[in-house]
Amino acid sequence: MDLEQLRKTAAEVVVREDVKYLIGWKQGSYGYRVAPVFVEDASGAAELLFSPLCTANLATYLTLVEKTPLPRGQEADKRKVALLVKGCDSRAVTQLIVEHGINRDQVIVVGCPCPGVVDTEKLAEKYPEQGKPAEVEWNGENFVLLCDDKETELPRDQFLAEKCRLCRHPNPVISDITVGEPVEPWTLADDNGVEEIEGKNLEERQAYWEEQFSKCIRCYSCRNVCPLCYCQDCILDRLNPTWVNRAVNFSENTAFNIARAFHLAGRCIECGECERVCPANIPLGKLNRKMAREVRDKYGFEPGVDPEAEPFQASFKPDDPEDFIL
Amino acid sequence: MSENYEPNIVAFLCNWCSYAGADLAGTSRVHYPANIQVIRVMCSGRVNPLYVMNALQQGADGVLISGCHPGDCHYMEGNFYARRRMGMLKDLMEFVGVDPKRFHMSWVSASEGHKWKEVVEKTVEEAREAGPFEGFRRRQIDW
Amino acid sequence: MSAMLLNKEKWPEFIGKLTGKNLWAPKLEGEAMRFAPVAEDEVPELTDGNTRIPPKNIVFPQTETMYRFQLGDFEMKEPELKEEMILLGIRPCDARAMVIVDKLFSWDVDDPYYLKRRELVTLVGLACSEPGLNCFCTSLGGGPASTEGLDLLMVDLGDSYLLETITPKGEALVSEVSELLIEADTEKIKMKKKMVSESEGKIKRSVDHKGIPEGLPGLWEDPLWKSVSASCLGCGTCTYLCPTCHCFDIQDETEGFEARRCRMWDSCMFEEYTLHTSGHNPRPTRRERTRNRINHKYNYYVDKFDVIACVGCGRCINLCPVNIDIVEILRQVKEAL
Repeated sequence: MDLEQLRKTAAEVVVREDVKYLIGWKQGSYGYRVAPVFVEDASGAAELLFSPLCTANLATYLTLVEKTPLPRGQEADKRKVALLVKGCDSRAVTQLIVEHGINRDQVIVVGCPCPGVVDTEKLAEKYPEQGKPAEVEWNGENFVLLCDDKETELPRDQFLAEKCRLCRHPNPVISDITVGEPVEPWTLADDNGVEEIEGKNLEERQAYWEEQFSKCIRCYSCRNVCPLCYCQDCILDRLNPTWVNRAVNFSENTAFNIARAFHLAGRCIECGECERVCPANIPLGKLNRKMAREVRDKYGFEPGVDPEAEPFQASFKPDDPEDFIL
Repeated sequence: MSENYEPNIVAFLCNWCSYAGADLAGTSRVHYPANIQVIRVMCSGRVNPLYVMNALQQGADGVLISGCHPGDCHYMEGNFYARRRMGMLKDLMEFVGVDPKRFHMSWVSASEGHKWKEVVEKTVEEAREAGPFEGFRRRQIDW
Repeated sequence: MSAMLLNKEKWPEFIGKLTGKNLWAPKLEGEAMRFAPVAEDEVPELTDGNTRIPPKNIVFPQTETMYRFQLGDFEMKEPELKEEMILLGIRPCDARAMVIVDKLFSWDVDDPYYLKRRELVTLVGLACSEPGLNCFCTSLGGGPASTEGLDLLMVDLGDSYLLETITPKGEALVSEVSELLIEADTEKIKMKKKMVSESEGKIKRSVDHKGIPEGLPGLWEDPLWKSVSASCLGCGTCTYLCPTCHCFDIQDETEGFEARRCRMWDSCMFEEYTLHTSGHNPRPTRRERTRNRINHKYNYYVDKFDVIACVGCGRCINLCPVNIDIVEILRQVKEAL
């Protein structure tokens, strides 16, 4: 990935009069962290970054804008938002368009074909984080860690993030401007973590998820980081009726997690953000992948690929499977 | 499980077909198990998955959702949406360890009093096999 | 205050004596470490690094039943708190956080639940020999072997633990296991001092908070709040994992005819935290909420209790999904003063 080209393109986009800002990644404050950044002028584009550490899905910020009431006589800022996307992020943008969460003409998608990102937790385990920000690059085959003027080659199959092992769309599915060359899709990993649980019997599954859900501290970072969880009025915040009690215990946590997974059935684009941000390390990705697999196998639907598609849960086919009906 | 365990089933019935079907079963003096607590909704498509979750949290041992036959929906297509959603929900619940015998869906029209009886019998029988629901029921936890 | 020595060979025996007494210790769950009860035949190993989930939930549970009642009845049943517990391996920063939060819960009205739990718990601290990457406790009056709030401090000296009693509660605990301990000589105390100063040297991050509490009100409308909060997702990770954050919400929950009033953690980073019934929200965006989080810790709390409500444990930095770094924010605040 040519960073110069990325920064040049971004600067060109940002100076356009109809663009409010560009959302991209920049180097974080330490270690392997990368922080989202809102670039408002050409000079800001110089700190943009695209590296195997850019795991965050920036499409979240499209729907995260909080609108305060406008003072009388003032017009809303209707300029466009530009956004850097990887393959998975572009699926989130597509799905948002499908659901009319955003308007296609309100975003400028700057696509970055992505050869896969690293699992920063695994990386930090092997090579502990330093106070100084480190860099990671692609070298065609593997990742290269640049830290303290040392170059360490990181084997791809060892450090590739879980979500990337199962990624079918490394190239952005929609983009207005593409930076860099398209990458060749790779062979998918066989193990998606779902079969492992399906192999258990009901009691074992119950025990497994009880252990997992009991860990939940209900910080809602999985909800907030999700590009497709953008309801203005979330059921989890409602008190009248109280869908899910505020108490934190296994019962309510299960209701919350099932509700979350269900709301993402047929919508989750498997960017893996929920699993990455969870401070309690709950394997939320397994729930999402299970649902995504059912949707694909039983209903032949893949979210976030076709901007013209009908939303999965708001559409039907007369011949949908009904073998479970009495 | 005690000898005389009676499962507690919550049934969400659509106003136009299944509720009328259950009513017909009643007026025709058809006998069916009394374990069913009926909640009338306007359409099976109105059943929110959280209804099912809340029922199980609050002490139901099984849930039944019943609507019009595909194509007969009073609102043209509500039951098609319900079919998709509940199919997904059933898969998800099974994945997290809820016995699929606790969750059923059926199509019962206003003229099918006898089918209603069969559906209830089957639902109760399966819920009985599954036993009292203890999973994520609220009172199982130090509440 | 006395110093005793516990040989590590006697560690399992030491634990064995305590497990019957409701002993809690750090436990690794997946990759996230948190405090959990120690089972009868279990011997916890105190490893490097602090728990990811702070021990504040021991004294301030995430969900606490205040009282139970029956619908239509006026009788309230309060839960009885009487079980004593021992928290083994709490880090000095987390113990110090409890002292800071104590000030609030015993301020205008004594909080019976919190104070009772505080009374029942014995804090056995473990000095940090390997501070984390984002620790900055030394900047805020703490330190890797700070004893504030602890009843007993353990210092890892390689083949043994040095036990320093600080309070009568700590002394009582030591007297129960006295046959396993030997008196520490001055050499060991020297070793401890050396270890502590080495450990302090390993702390790389720092906050210069001089002038910040007084200066924050002047920065109310500063553009820095917009830039530091731009990427905030509005989740509760920073506040829920903060050992000094103590906001709560009170709810009534019913189950059939049974009901309870309970309080649970709340976070100022949530939109609904300040939402009025009318629909008006005095902190409408994440800019105001982030500003409030920093102000509460470094300004309001200082005004009221004369102490900064941050102990420098670094959890909010470690686990923020979008790398919002409080040290970085404070550096910017300092610059803007």
